[in-house]
Amino acid sequence: MRSAPAWLFAPACAALAACGGAPRQPSAAELARTTVTVGTTVDLAGVNELLSGGVRFSNEVLDQLFLSLLREQPDWAEHPPTLAPELAEGWELADGGRTLTFRLRADARWSDGRPVTAADVAFTWRAQTAAAVAWPYAQSKESITAVETPDPRTVRFRFRAGYPFQLIDANDGRVLPAHAWQGLPFEQWRRSEPWFREHLVVDGPFRLADWHPGRELVLERNRGSLAPPGAGFARVVFRVVPDPAALVERLLAGELDFYDGLSPLDAERIRASPRLRLLVADSRQFDYIAWNGRRAPFDDPAVRRALTLGIDRQALVDVLWRGFARVAAGPVPAGVWARDPELAPWPYDPDAARTLLASRGFADHDGDGVLDRDGRPLRFELTTNASNRLRSDAAVLIRDQLKRIGVDVQPRTLELQALVERNQAGDFDATIAGWAIDTTLDLRPYFHSSEIADGQNFVAYRNAEVDRALDRARSEPDLASARPLLVRVQRILRDEQPYTFLWEPRRLAAVARDLEGVEVTHLSSLGSLARWSRAPAGR
Amino acid sequence: MTRFLARRLAAAAALLVAVVSGAFLLVHALPGGPGVIPEDPRVPPSQAQRLRAAWGLDRPLPERYLRFVVAAARGDWGPSLSQHRPAAQVVAEALPWTLLLDGTALGIELAGGLALGLLAARRAGGRLDRLLRGATLALRAVPGFWLALLLLSAFAVRWPLLPAGGVASPAAAGGAWARLADLVAHLALPALAVGLPAAAGAARFVRAALLEIAAEPFLLAAHARGLAPARVLFGHALRAAAAPLLQLAGFSFGALLSGSLAVEVVFAWPGLGRVTFDALAARDYPVLVAGAALAAAAVIAGSAAAEIAHAALDPRVRDA
Repeated sequence: MRSAPAWLFAPACAALAACGGAPRQPSAAELARTTVTVGTTVDLAGVNELLSGGVRFSNEVLDQLFLSLLREQPDWAEHPPTLAPELAEGWELADGGRTLTFRLRADARWSDGRPVTAADVAFTWRAQTAAAVAWPYAQSKESITAVETPDPRTVRFRFRAGYPFQLIDANDGRVLPAHAWQGLPFEQWRRSEPWFREHLVVDGPFRLADWHPGRELVLERNRGSLAPPGAGFARVVFRVVPDPAALVERLLAGELDFYDGLSPLDAERIRASPRLRLLVADSRQFDYIAWNGRRAPFDDPAVRRALTLGIDRQALVDVLWRGFARVAAGPVPAGVWARDPELAPWPYDPDAARTLLASRGFADHDGDGVLDRDGRPLRFELTTNASNRLRSDAAVLIRDQLKRIGVDVQPRTLELQALVERNQAGDFDATIAGWAIDTTLDLRPYFHSSEIADGQNFVAYRNAEVDRALDRARSEPDLASARPLLVRVQRILRDEQPYTFLWEPRRLAAVARDLEGVEVTHLSSLGSLARWSRAPAGR
Repeated sequence: MTRFLARRLAAAAALLVAVVSGAFLLVHALPGGPGVIPEDPRVPPSQAQRLRAAWGLDRPLPERYLRFVVAAARGDWGPSLSQHRPAAQVVAEALPWTLLLDGTALGIELAGGLALGLLAARRAGGRLDRLLRGATLALRAVPGFWLALLLLSAFAVRWPLLPAGGVASPAAAGGAWARLADLVAHLALPALAVGLPAAAGAARFVRAALLEIAAEPFLLAAHARGLAPARVLFGHALRAAAAPLLQLAGFSFGALLSGSLAVEVVFAWPGLGRVTFDALAARDYPVLVAGAALAAAAVIAGSAAAEIAHAALDPRVRDA
């Protein structure tokens, strides 16, 4: 008789711990001291970054498992973000930026004891650029022509030409274990996630101790890691709770210690809780209304500016975000090194909006309360994704605000993928969306005319001066020297309003009051996880 | 009986093929199609196309459909687009949790439905009957996710008697019995959230069935023979109502399965509903289709079992 498959007994195994034998169970007090429990609405998408990249939570977890050559620091307020040595102890640019050489640390080890070598870095680059792997972020490697390994501790990147963020591009992605993962041909990677888990070796501060997909993920300290051991938790348990409302209830019930991603509506409940505190941090996000420049009248900068003047964005921030956001003025968030200090958001000025629209030929000729020009009413559809409550509420409020200046807005919510497809196809009038801007502040993908065909310039924005400035910014020797060009671009964008920049939301996290060492930044919420600890009772 | 079984099996197979094909075509017909590309300025459309090609989504739809159906017939539902492992494995891991939840909910439905239905039918038109009818109607009308959040908020937060979700406590110490108790504690709220509305529906069904049978001559004869009312109810009326009740149980499984989707999401229960919810968000068609096939198979099996049992009890059905 064939035996029944093991998965059939999963609940019984979970209950009885009879499958594989149950070790001695630590006491509840011991577990509380050594374990921290983190809530998440999504699960880890996989242990191989090249297959699972792009999801913020997965990136946060993978940062605990794998190290990079360098680690970006959250210090972009005064200057471009610095990169601290991690697997690399130093680097050197030569040959006019065409050669970048890293020297690796001698003491870096995988969890199976094998050293981390230049061969791992070269293997990572080959995997990142392999067509069969189809890593979504492979574009960051397109200027790299070769990766050489003169010796086990030296790795040399060859570039077509130097550019300001080539160090960031070379560093993009965590270093993968060649000796463990090169046995599987790239063609088979996309259907073999379990294989990578079975052959998992790590070099980060934690190792994957247990993973029940959709339920729970357990990390334990990787004692052999370069990361300093610290006095932090031995175990981190991530509990997957897909419903955000239920997750907040579990925080309040004391089942979770931390959650990053609160809505502003939940912030007050967290603040009022005796066991939780609210952390508020900057984010890299900005939300906007994108005007389709392929369609009249949105091809006219004056009309776009008038529409911006007719929207009370401060009211949107106050009502929808409860103050946990700032009115945005451009794509570079406030408080960032390259932000134009003189850049201020357009004010809410309905009278100026009406005057501007009148100067472009709009008037209510037929007396129906809606402005028109050449017999066509100033009426458009404002789309956004249905899953984002704040944006769909904003669309309704914007309809009411623009009605006061004679503009007829028809809000429409769509499923996210349907919205993305329509936007990419240019099939929209105006849409509310958002970007999390890259810390390189590379504005080319959004606003350079060459990115209309194959990029994220889906509003078809064209401005020769912006194109020139962005091209020149890319040929500067470093990011800091590109600042005047970025400032110029911000000013043009403010005048021309290809987007109406709506708000820059703050990042909201709930933390148990007795947790210490938690730092939430625009880069990460788990960056300091290895240093988290629980304050002794009574403090 | 053999012909009856053959007919039912052929119908079930045809229905299963229709469900698989329908689910496959529906996901592909959605705007944006299957698979989710990271919405990121660093991912240009050309790279997104490469990713689609790696998933095989650059092939014509008929070719993709044929490949999928042929592979599925061999038991290969393809790799999950979001979890990068066999879709069959993803679904198979979730199935036992859903069976546990829906099996418990079915128990609540039948036990609760029978008890409340009997109570209501005993004094039809009385105060208790009116109260029960109102309560069951209200419970039946409550959306599953709302009831789930209400139970969670009341019994896990306001009065922290039960865990708020998941299947095990991180600090679950002790031996096998302690762990079993921990699992039962985690099961209680989601099973109630799925089972209570179903029990309310069942109670109304039982009441109606018993009242219909109450007018049958054989029950009047039983009363005339001087049998105690309880004996007439349990010994005669309930036996006569067994066939429709059996059918109700069979068909209930499908309703419970769909009802548990929202509840599994709220209580982070790692069953088929959760998997389907996640797969839908990721447009992960291999998992969606495998999940739909499994759910359809469960519903078909449940209703077929009910029909067969009904036919075994009532010869008029199998001869029809």
